[in-house]
Amino acid sequence: MQRLVDILLAFKEYVVLTFLIVVSIILLNSNDNSQIRAIRSYTVGFFGVTQDFISIVPNVFALKRENEILRQLSVNLSDEVNRLREARLENMRLREIIGLKEKTIFKLVAGEIVGKNIHLLRNTITLNIGEADGAKPDMAIISEHGLVGKLIAASDHYSVGQIMLNKDFRSSAKIQRNRVDGIISWSGGEIVNLENISKMQDVKEGDVVTTSEYSTIFPPDVKIGYVSKVSDQPGSLFKNIEVTPSVEFSSLEQVFVVIASVDSERVALENKIARKK
Amino acid sequence: MGKHLKYLFFSFILMNIQTYISQLISLRDIAPDLLLIWLVYIAIKEGQLTGTIWGFIIGLMFDLSTGSFTGLAAMSKTIAGFTAGYFFDENRAHLILGSYRFVLIVLFVSLIHNTIYFIILTRGSEIGLLKAIFQIGLATNFYTSAVALLPMLVFGRKYIS
Repeated sequence: MQRLVDILLAFKEYVVLTFLIVVSIILLNSNDNSQIRAIRSYTVGFFGVTQDFISIVPNVFALKRENEILRQLSVNLSDEVNRLREARLENMRLREIIGLKEKTIFKLVAGEIVGKNIHLLRNTITLNIGEADGAKPDMAIISEHGLVGKLIAASDHYSVGQIMLNKDFRSSAKIQRNRVDGIISWSGGEIVNLENISKMQDVKEGDVVTTSEYSTIFPPDVKIGYVSKVSDQPGSLFKNIEVTPSVEFSSLEQVFVVIASVDSERVALENKIARKK
Repeated sequence: MGKHLKYLFFSFILMNIQTYISQLISLRDIAPDLLLIWLVYIAIKEGQLTGTIWGFIIGLMFDLSTGSFTGLAAMSKTIAGFTAGYFFDENRAHLILGSYRFVLIVLFVSLIHNTIYFIILTRGSEIGLLKAIFQIGLATNFYTSAVALLPMLVFGRKYIS
């Protein structure tokens, strides 16, 4: 026994290294574990407070530029609001005539980005809103320009969101012009890909891409971006479609969390069918 | 014990700075890895065992604060701390910290750290491993090493002169 202890002590650096690597691998495989999520939630709250404090330091140059953009945006939006108000009334009348259900209007909670982690492809943001404001993991994050991402962790007053430019991000999406649907994913860089679109489908550069009705997380018809490149891959049944996000992630400061609970009845039914298969 | 509390305190401060400066000094989404520079400093000053353990602690703190991929930075920074510990020399630690060797060690450790990090991160995803290592990884390595010149100059003034 003493001999074993002596050997371990002689190679203590390697023993510690091996032990810590094993612990890291266990952690990597337990990312969805409820205890890990609880620890993450506490840590998000802890770091959120300090990040919120540091973010008080204003970026004067950015503020001036932002002010100009907002003033221009305000003029454009007020014109658009008038036209949309008319369109909504017309839409409501038509829906009533053909007996369609009124679409749900989601509650939005505004939040500020107090920390951005774009280091080494992590691509997450920390928001100064948390469970006390109604924000929970798996809720959509949007901005006035379109879809930003989804929440992945939340404490009482802070939350962490995964932006669209994240390797684990997936969203069902459709081409607004002809309702062709696919899946949005990220493969590095500043663009996202629209996948699972057959070569037979009609997709053109400049087409607007929005979220579709199939997602249980993202509300439908939120702008994702526009098609910037379409190409055919030899030997594949699908098109290669690149989508440029409508949100400028590098200058993003304020966002909204869509407060909507997951439709448990729908999820339960879909899971039941999936299990039967 | 007091020394380790100091390390914990500075790790916490640097983690917050890392998150905040990412927005301010990133060049096309490439930001220097301040935590790695700090870890190399600890490993050169304290040795391989301490470097390995602090690599794990700093990495885990970073993982938990970003809300995803728990264990990824913990593992890559553990190995980075272990690697940096190879350059530990009790009698010449101050000389190493205050010379260009510190920057070269940061560059070497950063290369290993980012390679391990991207091998795990890109597993099962559509992000190309080579693209990640050569585009993001190498750019981060050089940016981190360039930033490591600042502490090197400070250590040089403090210890060598």
